[in-house]
Amino acid sequence: MVVMAKIAYYPGNTARAASMEVEDCIIPLCKTLGIELIEIPKASSDGGNIISQASPKLQHSLVARNLALAEQKNIDIMTTCATSHAIMCDTADVIASDSVYASQLNNLISLTSGIEYLGESKSRHLLHYLVEEIGLDKISAAVINPIRLNVAGYYGSNMQREGACGDDDAFLPNYLEQLINALGGTPIDYELKCQSVGAPSLLTLEGTAMAMTAAVLADAKQNGADIMVSACTISHSNLDSYQSRAGKLTGKDTAMPVVHLAELVAFALGHYPDRFAQLRTRALVIGS
Amino acid sequence: MSVIAKVWIEEDCITCDACQDICPEVFQLTDETSQIVAAVRVDGVFDRNTGGSFLKADFGKEFADYIEEAAEACPVDIIKFEMTGAAAPAGEEAATPVAAVTAVAAVAPVAVSAGTSDALATVFSGDRTLTILFGSQTGNAAGLAEKTAKLAANYELIANVVDMDGYDPASLVASKRVLIITSTWGEGDMPDNAEDFWQGINSSSPTLAGVNYSVCAIGDSSYDEYCKAGVDWDQKFSALGATSIQQIQLCDVDFDEPWAAWVKTVLPRIACVDSAGVFNESLVEEMSAYGAGGDDSVSSGDFTPGTVVMDEISVTIELFRYCPSAAQSGWDTISCAVPAHATVEDLLIAIQQDIDGSLAFRRGTNGGTATTGVRVNGRIVLADIARVSDLIGSRGNLKIEPAPGLPIIRDLIVDLSGYEAARARAEPWMRADPREGARLLNGAAVGTMDASLATELHRKSDVLSYQLIQSMSDTSSYDKAYEGPGIHLQQWLRAEDPRCGAEQRKSILSSLNETDGVWAEADLSSIARYGSDGRLAARGLNSARAHLLNTSNYGGKHGRLVKWYGRSVKWTGNVNETTLYRQVLGPLGLISNVFNGVSARMILGFTRNGGPPIRGLQGLLMPPAGVGKIPNMVNSKVDAHHEVVNLFNKIDKRF
Repeated sequence: MVVMAKIAYYPGNTARAASMEVEDCIIPLCKTLGIELIEIPKASSDGGNIISQASPKLQHSLVARNLALAEQKNIDIMTTCATSHAIMCDTADVIASDSVYASQLNNLISLTSGIEYLGESKSRHLLHYLVEEIGLDKISAAVINPIRLNVAGYYGSNMQREGACGDDDAFLPNYLEQLINALGGTPIDYELKCQSVGAPSLLTLEGTAMAMTAAVLADAKQNGADIMVSACTISHSNLDSYQSRAGKLTGKDTAMPVVHLAELVAFALGHYPDRFAQLRTRALVIGS
Repeated sequence: MSVIAKVWIEEDCITCDACQDICPEVFQLTDETSQIVAAVRVDGVFDRNTGGSFLKADFGKEFADYIEEAAEACPVDIIKFEMTGAAAPAGEEAATPVAAVTAVAAVAPVAVSAGTSDALATVFSGDRTLTILFGSQTGNAAGLAEKTAKLAANYELIANVVDMDGYDPASLVASKRVLIITSTWGEGDMPDNAEDFWQGINSSSPTLAGVNYSVCAIGDSSYDEYCKAGVDWDQKFSALGATSIQQIQLCDVDFDEPWAAWVKTVLPRIACVDSAGVFNESLVEEMSAYGAGGDDSVSSGDFTPGTVVMDEISVTIELFRYCPSAAQSGWDTISCAVPAHATVEDLLIAIQQDIDGSLAFRRGTNGGTATTGVRVNGRIVLADIARVSDLIGSRGNLKIEPAPGLPIIRDLIVDLSGYEAARARAEPWMRADPREGARLLNGAAVGTMDASLATELHRKSDVLSYQLIQSMSDTSSYDKAYEGPGIHLQQWLRAEDPRCGAEQRKSILSSLNETDGVWAEADLSSIARYGSDGRLAARGLNSARAHLLNTSNYGGKHGRLVKWYGRSVKWTGNVNETTLYRQVLGPLGLISNVFNGVSARMILGFTRNGGPPIRGLQGLLMPPAGVGKIPNMVNSKVDAHHEVVNLFNKIDKRF
């Protein structure tokens, strides 16, 4: 792994589209914590595990190219999206374990972009980077507006696997809980924090995705959560925008404000106090 | 691939240098003659090798082509060689002896010790090939075959471990030494990988007069047809004229000890069969001593599992309990100290014996029993092989639950009848008929498969238990019609098997493409997270999806999603969610978002913080766009966008 004080930023597939609040928050929070984000303007979509359903090689090539672009700058790459992080880790694993396939991918991106991925630059998720590189003490010391809410952390299934969750336990994770504590919130433990909400199938299996979404929200709420914080940008959409539909379809109580991890950290560090105030109000009114 | 057992130079070499030019690693010229290099020979001597010393295994394989080329190039035709696996005439290539070699044991013949008798040395000087055929359903017989092969090297035998799957019965005729290790499946049936070979032997009935053999049969004495497959093989070989070198060994579920006893006796005996196929019984005692390794120069391997002993660790166990008569569930908490090397099953047995005799769980019959799946600290494992020390949490806790996604019968026992019923409907087993192509003499259809494809299919299906795969999906609990990934993976692997008939393949692919098929899985990542088995299963199911998409021209919602996702990325380098929603849901689906509350939550500010208000207002004009704030209608292109387009065009022009 490359040792560095700065890191490339990969926004994932939606942070600069539907999930602009993530993009709003990541830049100020990194500035506060002394993280220098390096743009990779040539980076493309990673295929979202959707393109891989037609051609795994095409998705692997897109991702290897993105990683190679970061490697050109001799830095690791950080993302706010658990899905994108898992996709990058998976590609790096495949390349490390299959040299023949790796050379095929490198030939392709060399032909088209004149670069190769040597496996030096790795993907880091914002959560793991904050806990492992910045440190909870430093984050805690920088808190201006403590969260002071019962917060359920949602990990999802994408990055909770060996090799993609940093030094956290893949099946009994607690990085989010540690971070929530450091931000002045009270972490809520609940069973389904690593369960998928069916985000890749939102458009194709809506009923199933809604049932999975409702189960996660209802479980968190039954365990006393005021709000939920998601480490995955894509799952965030299911949990937030679709929560009323999920509740309606399943008859479960799913009403709860859901924010992305980048938002929660930014709020605690004093950014967007108006949004934070709005969140607290929503937690009190809607989420009760 | 050719493997040369030995090579030698006859008299009248004209020292033309041709052989040394072609293969200097094996041939080296002196002033008088070409000779065989010492480094490639088992006996380590540098001469013409007229004594017939074997080539070291790797060299025989690595330089086979060059040696053959040198023999052909020799103007006086004095370079002679012998292939592995058949008593082929010197200088002529023998028929390839095996069709589907899954593993060739590391052949490291021991150096012949100085005290070896002439008679034994004579036996060693000929062909030393040993064919070990295995019929295996769960991998136990295959594992024993590999262990047997390693031990065989102690007797200067060159063992080929051969999967019966795809093995040509005609190859048996040339074999002088054959060991069969097979399990029995179901009610006395052959394992799946042995069925075709068994049918082939029965229909062709080759004469096995020169074959010396013995059988090790694995079974379960609780069945009526105990070890029947092995007994059938023993009787069949005998009926075809083969010579039993040792009585058949029957092994119950604890097979390690009887196998060890069998192999200890059978190897020195079969090692006394010379290259002509004659059993030299008078040499057995000397051979046993030789193989036992009394000489320091004899290499021996530690091929039996070592005993692992770890310190005790303190554990707090949270144990799921369910009583069906009272319809009540809850958790027992038990604090105790256990050896860290104990398996979860050991732990459960101890609890059952010492604390609560009513605890119900499935016990394994040997290491890695497919039905012993449980969830421990979130991981889905087989209780009879998962070690406590690998699972224990940082706080010393161990939360043990039933395998997820299946109805619970009692405590940790889940109901697998639904899984079995789904498997029965899916019919993932081999159905070779009707099919075009090869047929046996009795008219039955038989599929063929080359060794590399067989290896690839075995690699893709190398999971501990399909029942565990079935439990890995998060979707199963929310879609009762979904047949599950364990079933679908078996179906897909069968569809990839070239031996199954076209009708079966078509039926399987049609089944996978149905609403309860592979598209019913909402998120493959929930499967992929469970270690190497999960990754293997997720990749297999993704391959099935790719195949179905490519043969259906991207029809249906799933096809449209993939097609338009790819296209939008190709157009700009980024995903355009508006395009996706419009293309996948269609106009009616989009409008429905207005009425189901999704758009309302976005417009009225109940969701998401921040963003320019105009994006929220867009919802009034184009309400259905979907996720969170209304996404971009048109994406800007990433820098060097042409590179992305080129990548698409190089790999997949369908987008």
